[in-house]
Amino acid sequence: MQKAAFSHRSPTTRLLLGLLITLAAVLAYSFYITVQLVGLRELQSEMVDRNRKDSLQLLRIENDLNSIALAMRDMLDTTERYPLTAWTAQFERIRQDLDAAMKLEEGLAVASRTPNQRKFLTQSVAQFWDAVNRMFALAQSGKKTEAREQIRLTLQAREQALSTAVSRLLVENNEGEEQAAASIAKIYNGVQRQLYLFLAATLIAIVLTSLYLIRSNRRLFARLADLSEQRSDLAQKLISTQESTLRHISRELHDEFGQVLTAIGSLLRRAGKQAGEGTPLYSDLKEVQEIAQITLNNIRTLSQALHPVLLEEAGLESTLDWYIPTVGRQAGIELHYEKSGKPFPVEPGAGVHIYRVLQEALNNVSRHSGARDAWVRLKYSGDSLELEVEDRGSGFVAEKMQRGIGLVAMRERAELIGGTLAVTPRPQGGTQVRLHIPREKVESHAA
Amino acid sequence: MNRRDFLFTTLGSGLAAVAGLPPGILATPASNLGFRLTDVTDAAGIRFMHNSGAYGGKLLPETLGSGCAFLDYDADGWQDIVLLNGMDWPGHKRQRSMLRLYRNNRNGTFADITKAAGLDIEIYGMGVAVGDYNNDGFPDLFISCVGQSHLFRNTGKGTFVDVTHSSGLFDRQGLSTSALWFDYDRDGFLDLFVCNYVRWSPEHDVFCSLDGTHKSYCTPEAYRGDTCWLFHNRGNGTFEDVTATSGIFDSSSKSLGVAMLDYDQDGWPDLLVANDTQPNKLYRNLRNGKFKDVAIEAGLAFSTEGKARAGMGVDVGDFDNSGKLGIAITNFDNEMIGLYRATAPGVFDDVSIVSGVGAPSRNTLGFGCMFLDVDLDGALDLAVANGHIDETVRNIRGNVGYAQPPQLFLNEGHGEFRDVAAEGGGGFDKPRVGRGLAYGDFDGDGDLDILMTTNNGPAVLFRNDQLGGNHSIRFELVGTKSNRDAIGASVQVFAGDLHQWRMVRGGSSYLSQSEFPITFGLAKRDKIDRVVINWPSGRTEEYRDLQASKSYKCKEGKGIEPL
Repeated sequence: MQKAAFSHRSPTTRLLLGLLITLAAVLAYSFYITVQLVGLRELQSEMVDRNRKDSLQLLRIENDLNSIALAMRDMLDTTERYPLTAWTAQFERIRQDLDAAMKLEEGLAVASRTPNQRKFLTQSVAQFWDAVNRMFALAQSGKKTEAREQIRLTLQAREQALSTAVSRLLVENNEGEEQAAASIAKIYNGVQRQLYLFLAATLIAIVLTSLYLIRSNRRLFARLADLSEQRSDLAQKLISTQESTLRHISRELHDEFGQVLTAIGSLLRRAGKQAGEGTPLYSDLKEVQEIAQITLNNIRTLSQALHPVLLEEAGLESTLDWYIPTVGRQAGIELHYEKSGKPFPVEPGAGVHIYRVLQEALNNVSRHSGARDAWVRLKYSGDSLELEVEDRGSGFVAEKMQRGIGLVAMRERAELIGGTLAVTPRPQGGTQVRLHIPREKVESHAA
Repeated sequence: MNRRDFLFTTLGSGLAAVAGLPPGILATPASNLGFRLTDVTDAAGIRFMHNSGAYGGKLLPETLGSGCAFLDYDADGWQDIVLLNGMDWPGHKRQRSMLRLYRNNRNGTFADITKAAGLDIEIYGMGVAVGDYNNDGFPDLFISCVGQSHLFRNTGKGTFVDVTHSSGLFDRQGLSTSALWFDYDRDGFLDLFVCNYVRWSPEHDVFCSLDGTHKSYCTPEAYRGDTCWLFHNRGNGTFEDVTATSGIFDSSSKSLGVAMLDYDQDGWPDLLVANDTQPNKLYRNLRNGKFKDVAIEAGLAFSTEGKARAGMGVDVGDFDNSGKLGIAITNFDNEMIGLYRATAPGVFDDVSIVSGVGAPSRNTLGFGCMFLDVDLDGALDLAVANGHIDETVRNIRGNVGYAQPPQLFLNEGHGEFRDVAAEGGGGFDKPRVGRGLAYGDFDGDGDLDILMTTNNGPAVLFRNDQLGGNHSIRFELVGTKSNRDAIGASVQVFAGDLHQWRMVRGGSSYLSQSEFPITFGLAKRDKIDRVVINWPSGRTEEYRDLQASKSYKCKEGKGIEPL
């Protein structure tokens, strides 16, 4: 039920949804911007740039017409020493440039020019050059006065009309540029407005998502802390139950079976005496008595192993004095036991956990380290008790340790008595297990 | 002059006096460029002051003049000097000023023989074109003027006669500027091309003002353009105006500089005209007495931005020894020098920026310009005379001055130039209101000396001395079937891997003319393998194994002899 409620509050779905909405918004905005940029580019290349190029060609045409006007003014100057035909090459140069400019301009202005405008311009220019040709023909044939009349009455007027037409086209181009500039400004304003909206929406989405994430994280951490506490409680209850069960079994074995076997042994000894020495019955009874004694010893050892009664009777220090040489012999490891500091009494409830930690640590040394030697140090200090188990074996192998629950149990036991456990590899090889318990925790247990 | 220059000059003069050396011989500190320029104006006895006639009326021609030339007027093999002058305007007479002709004394000094030569007449001279138009062996002078220009025939006896009337050049007014002699129809007689700036006369001067109150000099836009003139030499001492029939006529031109070239390498001389605020003109010789303007197709009419710049001076030379033409055109400040290089036959690219000439000339107003191998390393360098037209320009444009340092762009190879004016010595980089510029080997040491005129100021003569041991070889060409000055002859020199060519030309630069003999820098080479001369007559001559550090005289069809 609790698990179902927890999964129901998972933020993943909502975050994914938020991410999708954000991506959709970015895509939509990118699409919008792209469309606007394409439009802007088209507007610039098709209208503004083209218009500008067209205006440049119109200016070139206007410049050519102006050069023609200046040339005609010079031609009408009667003090000029050169004949009118001298201007032929000059007019030809201008004509070539004018034709080139007209051709370019026609290509550039195709979108904006009306057919009538185009026709007028082309016809006017053609008529102008026809008139120029006639004027030069007159000049060539020596009719200077008529040629000058042609300039004055026809050419200058036509040139003026052409100039006016070109000026009008330039004005139209300028107006077109202004309109295009206004359209561009409108697009820029629209994009700017959309950009601000997008930024504001993005900001709000980021803030809301952040708040949601913070809230979800807080809930997750609270839940984790709760679960951790529950797990710790369970582990400690398990350890306590285990200890109490082992103590009970130990006592039952020691008290019940020990007494029965002791009684059996006494009865067998008495029956043996009655049967008399040297009789076959005596031998059999003696053998049964020895079996009973061995069984009694085994039961006592098992009882001691399950729960060292010695802890309650003689205290931690004495128990360790007995246990360490015993386990050393059993495991075939040379154990160097060192005590330091001024001993103080350790409450049996705490002592059993210290004992179990030592038991597990030495068990690990025996099973995993491959070391022949190990050091056990019990240090009493003014404010703490410290137990160290150190070997110089193959070292700390976390994977091996993690396979069992030994390390977890050691930590739980340490926490149970308010201490800390540190398992660290030694730089020179081997492992050091250090149990540190504040003195007041030990004494408080004693109290 | 800075303190170091002063110390050298003072010390040098003292030592020279003690040792009995000519003044100026120790006048400048050593240069690490391989050459050293020395200002020998005073030492050479040239005491010339240009008179623009400026009295406050701000008349347009005052800003323009004047030019100069190296010429061997007495045919003694030593380069003489002519310096043009303006004059006071009518109604504002304060002094008498005239052009000056200086005869080379062959010892590093000159003698003013203006009066003796019959040239002490007052004219408002602008440009000078030197050429032996009557093929008598003595160079004649065409002086372009404000108003009527003048043709002075060299009598060969040390004097000149004004033949303007008899030659048919009389009765034409103009603001004439640069001019050159060339044989456009290759008939063996030099024809005359004259640039005209704008239609101007004192009576029709336009009032322009920067502040709305005081008169200032007008820009050329205020005036109508004027056509250049082309005069055909009939061979009998008279000329025929063929401006209209040759296709040269263009009433919109505002021409200041002209250079001859063979841009299509067909052996017929073409013309490049630098126009102020109007498109430059490249007149292609159609070989039938007519010309066609192909400047737009050639890429020379406008700047790379399509703008007509304010062209002033112009020169032509194969500055990268590629066999292709290079062109320099000086322009107004903020327009840079146009340095062009032929990239395809008849097509030029402006390489001023990449060559390193553009940026240093952005804030200068260039006038005279000329390609010359100043360090005789076998690559043409570029000298430029700068100076503004407006005395108050610094008030308007803070980084542009009225007097401006001349520039000497040393060719560093790979199409790159570096301005070494400040390192050349002789105070060459002193700001001046420079106008005319010409080169000539006046001291006969095989390298090219520099003559510069300034507006309303003195002319300056810089002697060039080689310090790096580079050699040169010089050729003086004398035409027999071709025009006697051999103008239009091309000379190619082969020396190992070095291949250079030059053309004997008049004109170029601005209002000025350099010497006719051709100088090739050979660096450390002590001989050339061969020289090939293509005469304007069509004749080709080749001579082999000539020693360097010598001058040779080649007479068309008569062989070659060392001088």
